[in-house]
Amino acid sequence: MQVHPNRWGGELVRFENVGLRYGAAPETLTDISFSILPQSFQFLTGASGSGKTTILRLILQSLKPTRGMISIFGQDTAQLDKDGLTALRRRMGIVFQDFRLLDHLTIYENVALPFKIRGRMESSYRAEVIELLKWIGLGDLLQAKPPVLSGGEKQRTSIARALVSQPELLLADEPTGNLDPVLAGRLLRLFVELNRSGTAILIATHDIGLMDQIKGGRRLVLQNHNLQVEG
Amino acid sequence: MSSSTDFHNQRPRFRSFLDRFSTDSLVAPDPLTDRTLVAVIFILTFIASLTAGLVLFGSAASARWQALLSSEVTVQIRPQPGRNIETDLTRAAALLKQVQGITKVRIYSYDETMRMLEPWLGQSSSLGGLSIPRLIAVEIDSKSPPDIPAISKQLAHDIPGTAIDDHRSWTRRLTTLGNSLVIASAAGLILVMTATALAIIFATRGAMVGNRDIVEVFYFMGADDRYIARVFQRHFFRLGLRGGILGACLALIVLALLRFVVAGTDGLRDMFGFGIIDPLSTVGLAIVIAVLAVALFVSLLVSVVSRITVHSTLSRLV
Repeated sequence: MQVHPNRWGGELVRFENVGLRYGAAPETLTDISFSILPQSFQFLTGASGSGKTTILRLILQSLKPTRGMISIFGQDTAQLDKDGLTALRRRMGIVFQDFRLLDHLTIYENVALPFKIRGRMESSYRAEVIELLKWIGLGDLLQAKPPVLSGGEKQRTSIARALVSQPELLLADEPTGNLDPVLAGRLLRLFVELNRSGTAILIATHDIGLMDQIKGGRRLVLQNHNLQVEG
Repeated sequence: MSSSTDFHNQRPRFRSFLDRFSTDSLVAPDPLTDRTLVAVIFILTFIASLTAGLVLFGSAASARWQALLSSEVTVQIRPQPGRNIETDLTRAAALLKQVQGITKVRIYSYDETMRMLEPWLGQSSSLGGLSIPRLIAVEIDSKSPPDIPAISKQLAHDIPGTAIDDHRSWTRRLTTLGNSLVIASAAGLILVMTATALAIIFATRGAMVGNRDIVEVFYFMGADDRYIARVFQRHFFRLGLRGGILGACLALIVLALLRFVVAGTDGLRDMFGFGIIDPLSTVGLAIVIAVLAVALFVSLLVSVVSRITVHSTLSRLV
């Protein structure tokens, strides 16, 4: 699979003093500042409930910060209209913790969904989708539907769906949470290979063993509502 | 799985082209909700189609009755002391035949008149030579009708005790009845359409809440509101069309049965006329077209309402 080189020269994501609170409750996230560079590889880690998924949702703009500034692909998200937001999301891929596959669609249709949403003709992406599914070991399950798949197969399908449109930034929420260590290692190598092809990766995980497998990977550590950058 | 790959490779180009616009399968099917909605739309379409068909049927019958009444007038001559009513009848008939616009004149004989009165007076043989008013049926050319008030005045002058009934009071009543029928039916149709719209609003909101995760996935993959609205619109249009066609088919069957009942019953056939009950007549075709139009309109209503509901719900959902 070929991935286009990144088209964005600056930071893909920039958080400056971002805070988030729900209603009158204390801040869930306080003064979060970090950036993600093109073609970089980082883990977002912290204890369960520390706000990893919340940060991913802030990047995806399904949550708005209470204060601070978030810039995605060089654009201040506070200034974004709906069409601008749609355009930004099309440059990102997301792997959900709970897969979020459409159970009534086949594996092929699930993975092809980003292309379908963008209005592309099937003939223009069919070979690409099949090639990717073969590459991640699901070539024999094109017509299978998610309910009959194992956890690992669902996870790989979810990853394939996030990769297929060759995003500049891939966000993955606990992508190996349902997998055994061997399969988790294989998937991690998949992310590394994708990263080498030009995609910046942000993996939210609390699996220290997984992070230790990547030497030199940045770690964004969430602790006590704050974020520290290591590495 | 090479067979799957082959299947995809062999798909014709036009199918790929259609796939670009195919968004209907993206909403997860919910058999129970979908069937219930189809059943509701089916019932509402049936009522609306039947109402539309009966309105056309009733309007055509009313128009036919009005045409029949307006093409005939009745001259009544009351017995007058010292006058021979048979002579007066003959004279009145002769006068009427000379008037332009009158096509046929027929005097009802004494026996015919007594037979008309039998339901009220009993057997004519027991009444002897009872003096009763006599009638002349006059058919007029409805395209160039004669001046009825002038004829009435002339007859009253020449033959005392003469009166003309041009059935105006009946045609007025029929017109009022026909208009009332149309207004009541239109109100009924509006109520049915409103009920359909409300059912669709609830169903769409329910489907969106049920598919909340899918909607969120669409958003994160770069779908915009228009795309998501189109997905749900297609889904509900298909359900609406299914319910609408079923409702229209049943309505057509009921109307066809009604036609057989009318055609097979002497009194009803005379009353409504074969022209109205014939499915190949103008009225028959209009009824079929109206019923199908109602089904299509219901489907479009379902589609539009679901789209509007999706747009208004999206901002609150995600």
